[in-house]
Parts: sequence; C-alpha cells; structure tokens
Amino acid sequence: MNINQTVNGSSLTMCLSGRLDTVTAPQLEEALKNSLAGVSLLTFDFADLAYISSAGLRVLLFAQKTMNKQGSMVIRNVNETIMEVFEITGFRDILTIA
Amino acid sequence: MHNKDKKKSRRRITRLLGQWLLLCVCIALICTWLFVYFLQNWLSDRETQTLLSINISDVTADISDASDENLLALTHTVADLLEAGETDLDAIAEAYSIAEINVVNRDGVITASTYASFLGYQMADGAQSGEFCVLLGDAEEYVQSYQPISYDESISRKYAGVSLSDGGFVQVGYDAEEFQKDIDAQVIGATRNRHVGQSGYVLISDASGVIVSDRNGGEGQDLSVTGITLDTDDLQAGEMFRTEVYGESCFCMYDETEGYYIISVLPASEALASRNTAVATTVAMELIVFACEFLLICFLMWQLVVKNIYKINDSLSEITAGHLDVKVDVCTNREFTALSQDINATVDTLKRYIAETAARMDQELAYAKEIQYASLPGIFPPYTDCVQFDLFASMHTAREVGGDFYDFYFVGEDRLAFLVADVSGKGIPAAMFMMRAKTLIKGLAESGMEVNEVFTRANTRLCENNEANMFVTAWLGVLHLKTGLVEYVNAGHNPPLVHCAEPQPAGSQNGKGQAFRYLKSRPGFVLAGMEGIRYRKNELRLSPGDTVFLYTDGITEATDEQMRLYGEERLRSVVNSSRMTPEELCAAVKADVDTFVGGAPQFDDITMLALTYKGDGAEPHEQSEDAACAL
Repeated sequence: MNINQTVNGSSLTMCLSGRLDTVTAPQLEEALKNSLAGVSLLTFDFADLAYISSAGLRVLLFAQKTMNKQGSMVIRNVNETIMEVFEITGFRDILTIA
Repeated sequence: MHNKDKKKSRRRITRLLGQWLLLCVCIALICTWLFVYFLQNWLSDRETQTLLSINISDVTADISDASDENLLALTHTVADLLEAGETDLDAIAEAYSIAEINVVNRDGVITASTYASFLGYQMADGAQSGEFCVLLGDAEEYVQSYQPISYDESISRKYAGVSLSDGGFVQVGYDAEEFQKDIDAQVIGATRNRHVGQSGYVLISDASGVIVSDRNGGEGQDLSVTGITLDTDDLQAGEMFRTEVYGESCFCMYDETEGYYIISVLPASEALASRNTAVATTVAMELIVFACEFLLICFLMWQLVVKNIYKINDSLSEITAGHLDVKVDVCTNREFTALSQDINATVDTLKRYIAETAARMDQELAYAKEIQYASLPGIFPPYTDCVQFDLFASMHTAREVGGDFYDFYFVGEDRLAFLVADVSGKGIPAAMFMMRAKTLIKGLAESGMEVNEVFTRANTRLCENNEANMFVTAWLGVLHLKTGLVEYVNAGHNPPLVHCAEPQPAGSQNGKGQAFRYLKSRPGFVLAGMEGIRYRKNELRLSPGDTVFLYTDGITEATDEQMRLYGEERLRSVVNSSRMTPEELCAAVKADVDTFVGGAPQFDDITMLALTYKGDGAEPHEQSEDAACAL
C-alpha cells in the first residue's frame, strides 16, 4: 500500500492505493499518529484503494474518533467493493462519504 | 538498499585506513628527506672545504718551496762573496737587490750589517731572529717564511742564513716585492694548470691586491675585478665563504703565504652537484621504498584484518537477518578464530533461549487455544431432546487463537439465541477481546431483554476503556421455537444466508423460494466502535425446514494464490448446491473454501453456524413433543 500525503494549511489529504489490510493498516495508523496534530480537515482519497479489511476499518475508526475531537473527516472516491464493506459493517453511518 | 549502505561503509573503512596510512608514510618520507638533505649538505660542505684547503696547501707549499730555494741560492752567493773576502755589504745588497745583510759571529752577535743600528744585536734575543741560532751548531742553512721581523714588527721580510767557515753565519733579508719578482713565474706555473675539482681554480694576488695568477686572464688587474673582496680582519684564513666570482656563485677559501694571497675557488654548481645528485637519488629511492611499504601494509591490513572483519560482518548480517544456523568461520589467525568461536557460542546460546521461549509460547498458546475452544459450545447435536431445530457450528482460527466466535443458548423456555461475531484483528488481543464480548453478550441476552437492547448495552460496556480501538461485528438472533419467528440484530456483520421454503414477501432480495438468499437488512454499527449507538431489531419468520447460515468474513474474504476473493456469490452457490443438514452444510463450505484457497495461507479466522428450524412439535407432519428443551 502507498500513502501519499498533501498538507494544505490545516487540511490534510491522504491518497491511499493498494490494499488496506492487517499487513498495511499499522503503516497507515503510524502515518496518522504522526501527522494528525493540528489538522482540522482530514480527507481520504480512496480512488486507488482496492480492498479494506477489518484491521483497516479499525484505523479508519481511530481516525474518525480523533477527527471528531478536532474537526472533520471526509472520504472521497469510495469504490463499490469498499462501499459494500462500509454498508455491511455500518461504517457508512458514522463516516462522511463524499 | 541495505547492501548498498554496507558497500559504502566498506569503502569508507578501507579509504580511511588508506588515508591515515598515507599520511603517516608521507610524514615519515618528508622527515627522512629533510634528514638526507641536511646530512648531504653537511657532507658536501665538508668535502668542498677539504677540496679547497688541499689545493691551497699544495699551492702554498709550491710557492714557499720556490721562494726558499730562490733565497737560499742568493744567500749562498752572498756567503761565497764574503768567504772570498768581500766586505762591502751595501754594494752586495745593491747588486742583488737585497734588503738586508747581517754577518753574525760564532757568539750569535751581529758584527756587520747593512743596517748600522743592528750592530751588536744578540740574535738569540728575538723569537724570529733566535731561530737562526741553529746555524751556530751543525746546520748549514736555514730559511724562514715571510714574516714580521723581531727588530721591528711592522716590517715583514723573508730571511735565509748560511753558515760561514769562521763558525758564524750570514743572514740575508729579502723584501716581498723583490723575491716575488724572482718567483712570480714559478707561482704562475704552480697555479695555471691547477684544477680544483672539475671546474674550480686557484687565484693568487699579492699583498696589495693585484692579481698575480688567474686562469681567467685577470693578471695585473685588481682583485676586485673577479668580484672577490678579501677583508682579512673579518675573514680567517682557511675559512670557507661563498661569493660571486666572475658572476658565478662560488665557494672560496684563502690563505696567505710569502706575501701572496692564495684563493681557491669552486663553483657552487659543481660543489652542490654531488649533493643534489645524492639527495635526488635518495629521494627517488625512498619514494619507491615507501610506496612499496605503503602498498604492502595496505595489502597485509586488508588480508589479515579488514577482510576478516568484513567476513565476520557478512556472517553477522546473515545471522541478524534471521539465519541463526550460519556459523562465523574466520580461522586465519588465533585472534579471529577466538572471535569466531565466541560469536558462534553467543549465537548458540541465543538460539537455545529463543527455542526455549518459543516452546514456552507454544505451550501457552496451546493452553489458550484449548481454553478458547472450550468456551465455545462444542457438543453436536447440542440438545438431544430438542427436536425443533438442528444446529451445527465450527471455528477454524488462522493462528492458534482467534477473534471469531459463535455461541448459542436458551434465553427463555422456548427461545434459542444464536450468534456469530468477529473481533477486528487476530491473535491474542483479538482472543481476549472476544472472550470479553462473548461473556458480556451472553450475560445480557440471558437476562431476557430484547436483542436490540442486548447490543445497545453491550456496545456501551465494550466502549469503556477501549484504548486499542478494537471492535466486534456480530449477528445475534433469537428463534421462537413455537412460531419460527427470529428476532435479530446486526452490528456490522456480514449478512447471513437464509433458506426459506416459502417465497418471501416482495422487497426481499433474491426473492425466489427454495434457495438460500442473503438477508440484507440495514445493519447497525459495529460493537465497541462508538458510544451511544442504538441498534434496531429486525424480524424474520422461518418455516419448518428453513435454514439460517451465519458466517464470518474469513469465508467471503478468503484469498487464493492470485489474491482473488472467495466472494459472496461462490458461497451462495455452494450452499445452494444441494439440500444439506447443518453439519453437512458447514463441512461443504469449509471444503470448498479449502479448495479455493489452495496453497495460500489462511489469513483470517473462519467461523460458521447453521441452524435448521424443524417446526414446533405440534405441526401435524412432525411428531408431537411440546416439552420445552432443557437449558
């Protein structure tokens, strides 16, 4: 998985590509822990993300909980497969998907 | 990347070593060069000095010999005249340009002289004149060098004496100007063809500074034309000095004899040529020797030390990379052999500790697995006296312990609760969270509350102190054995497959009867994910013969070697392939997943639960048995 980060003032955009699973989720968690300080708008771009596992969902939940305290979080370009996962797990209700 | 770094650091060590060695060699080289230069300079100075002084003394000896002979011959002539009876000393002196004639009697007293004042002078009274007293003994003749006279130190004169028959002697004094006229030719002869070294020469000037002999043709001119200035007060005879002679830098030395200044000259270019050659040769030789030493030391260092260090490092890198069976084997010398053995011993000890720890971990995990499996109901069929349903469940963990679980139990006289859940993550953390969730849900469900309330409360409790952000997806259903009604709640879990004998009302998906379809109700959020979530209750009515199949995403997301997902469609087609009992159904699905996955490792826990409702015992075609199932 590749993480491409773009900072613009207090907004942070993370473009993920590949698979967000047990192996790669800790990598995203580490990246988030390092760069979330002072961010008021976190945007995920999932255009190139092929798969998300429950470990990946756990990191998204962590990000959402963190952003609930300091701003907002938006996920863009969610493909059908991942949207299905969000729907099955009820994540769709707690995430802002644009 | 790692390899590149290693190569770079290797280059650095070799280069560093080379640089320091080169620095040391250069310093040693410069020191020896300086030493050689100063030594050769000193030797060359001494050699030049010896060369110059030998030539001077040769010439000096030649000149005094010539001068002595000349004066003795003259004195013999005077003696012969006196013996013959001549008495007019002034006339003799005049005739032979003699400065002074003294006749001394056998007592050493001057009896006749060209100087009246000398009459009666006792020869033995002066140091210079006293020397002539030897003639009163056996000596026949005596010559003195040109020097100040005892009578008047301001006058320099050359004397010779010859004994007379009466026991006395005659002493003749000659002034420099006079005898130099006699011997100039001989002096020139003595120096003209003389070579000092290859290109050096001897210059002679008289006391007044006029050149007497000069191979360069400066005769008759003042000494200053050569460029030499003789300051005899400052400069000692026999002392070497450097000056320009005819425009060429030369080493010079002078001496004084018989009223002449003899100067030997050696061009500096020649004097220093041998030194320069010696220095250049030594420098070149040393350069070669030191370069060879440098290369030899570098080679030896590389061969004996650095290469072995790299060899050990390579082995250590392999060991660090996890190949603990690699042995360090550098036995070129005792020190490296000892080091290799020490490293091997350390690695062996480490291996033993790792093996012990791994064995202990394995043992503990085996116990943990046992405990986890023991916590799940494992006897099938579970309630032998219950005929209203048939149930089978299984769990296959990806590691020793897992985060999935299934459960079923009665929550009232004729109400059977059954669920499947999946904790995010795997291994021990997931297993511990699973135990907590399982116990909590069971406790709440057994208290008899509505299924949605069970999840709402379980969520609140699981959210407490959930620092690790773990969560659980779960599907819980409660089957009313009498009516076939299933009240269920879904917390983010995969939709179950339901086989309904009767066609479902419009709006249900995959609405064809006689087949399994996904029960896609709108799910609630996962448990333990976020506080304050409220869950909705849904209902489903089962007819006798209907089956509910619960599973975790370990099945639908199982991947084969090409990273393809198993998927919901394949699962549905397997369960639809034929009518099966719950046990057969679970076995068929597991077998198909195994076939699909092939050689790829199992990533996630696989858990299934199948429940077939057989209807209440009151149904006409079923045997009657209203007895409530035992708890």
